[in-house]
Amino acid sequence: MKQTRQIAILYKVIFVCLTVVPVMAGLIYALLYSFGIIGIMNNGFTGKYWIAVLLSDMFWVSLGYSLYIALVSITISLVFALSISLFIKKRNITISYLFYIPLCFPAVVMAFYSFQLWSKSGWISRIIYQIGGIKEISSFPDLTNDTLGFSIVFTSVLMIVPFFTILFSNLYHSEKLHELKKVAQNLGASSFQILIKITIPVLLKRSWFTICLFIIFVMSSYEIPLLLGKQNPQMISVLTMQKLQRFNLNDIPQAYTIASLYVMITIFVLTLLSIGGIKKRFITKRRAYA
Amino acid sequence: MNDIVLDIQNISKAFQKEKVITEASFKASRNAVFSILGKSGSGKTTLLKIISGLEQQDSGSLFLEHEEISAIPAHKRNIVYLYQDALLFPHLDVFENIAFGLRLRKIPKKDIVKQVNKMIFDLQLEEHSHKMPTQLSGGQRQRVAFGRALIIKPKVLLLDEPFGALDVDTRKQMQQLCKQTILNYKITTVFVTHDLKEALLMGDQIGKMENGVLKTFINQSEFLNDPTTGAKEEIEFWKNIYKNEERF
Repeated sequence: MKQTRQIAILYKVIFVCLTVVPVMAGLIYALLYSFGIIGIMNNGFTGKYWIAVLLSDMFWVSLGYSLYIALVSITISLVFALSISLFIKKRNITISYLFYIPLCFPAVVMAFYSFQLWSKSGWISRIIYQIGGIKEISSFPDLTNDTLGFSIVFTSVLMIVPFFTILFSNLYHSEKLHELKKVAQNLGASSFQILIKITIPVLLKRSWFTICLFIIFVMSSYEIPLLLGKQNPQMISVLTMQKLQRFNLNDIPQAYTIASLYVMITIFVLTLLSIGGIKKRFITKRRAYA
Repeated sequence: MNDIVLDIQNISKAFQKEKVITEASFKASRNAVFSILGKSGSGKTTLLKIISGLEQQDSGSLFLEHEEISAIPAHKRNIVYLYQDALLFPHLDVFENIAFGLRLRKIPKKDIVKQVNKMIFDLQLEEHSHKMPTQLSGGQRQRVAFGRALIIKPKVLLLDEPFGALDVDTRKQMQQLCKQTILNYKITTVFVTHDLKEALLMGDQIGKMENGVLKTFINQSEFLNDPTTGAKEEIEFWKNIYKNEERF
């Protein structure tokens, strides 16, 4: 019994050492750098980098742009993933291993494929040119490195859809959706009412936290916006890396400030979501026992 | 009692080549409970699913208030089938689960609140109205499923071993509550069970299903005197126990 407890503690220590410690070390380093306590050009504690970042449009525009790309990508992905998983269930098709392939591709490879597909000299442009859809290759619209982030969204969707399709397909089984649909049908629900009132709410509610994590994941993606994004606005990771790798050493503390600020905002939002969940459960319990 | 609500005539069903139901026929009277006793795999569940429209029969006819309903889809039959598993909607609390059928019918909000609260009171669920399904016990979940079915006032309620998964005490309570609520709400019910006592306790009319063949009985005494029902053996068993008890 004592030995089992000791092994459990050991596992916890190893887990903390491998996950929490490196992340915390990185965050502390970034914070110290951003406040001028460490770093090549720093001369001691200062809040000037934080003030500069907080007062600059650059950070907020980048944050807003990252959020926009993430929300659009996730929304489109969810629509596709829901449609595909429900179609698969309706036709009783087993998910092929082919579906897992996009999950194995590195983001940079997917970004490169998208570039080949959607750039002015890409496949789609050439096909449209060959069939007479455009008179010149240059007339093809800017779908890479564009302000709306079309190809960033496209690539993110390509990478996210398989994951959510598999997730929804598994949830369909674990949540007994097939039986629940029959119950709803028996109570008088039409196919559309079943979809709106049962299938979609159950799947989305169960995967809500994963969706939130994916929004953060897309917001902080780097390789895809680096290859397919515009110089302005930039997504948050690209902005941070550009500041970090510039020749101007004075920009490095700002990069760490942006990184620290983004982490703080993320933690704050996740905490709010968790508190919201706990509060909802608490209110439900209180109302139940009232 | 002679007003027939549900008239099942010569229903047969086979899955691939295996015959599950052979020419089953019975008539359920208005506001009465028709019990069907049968072992697992005897075809009871398939029969209920055919009546509810979740399965289609190979042959035979179904009449609901003298109207043939075989071609009517499940969601338009106004017959509710209650599973052994409560199958509550996991994203809705107790109140919303019970209100589900009423919301589909676009009943005014005030009426929904009134009707659902009354149902919650009748089913002794007042303390649990805002709980989520995962916060309920097996018996409570089954009561919610029962309320969700009853509130839309179906023409026929089909109960498929609804208390099968409950412990003995909860099962007893649920049998009484169920019987009383069916009486109060005046709903014609077909009750399927493998438990002899439960079939007798719940049913005003009774039938026995064996290997897909349904045998119906005019009244309880005919059922008790029929050697194939197992009722006589059960009575004898308890008599012997009683005698042995007296001897000691």
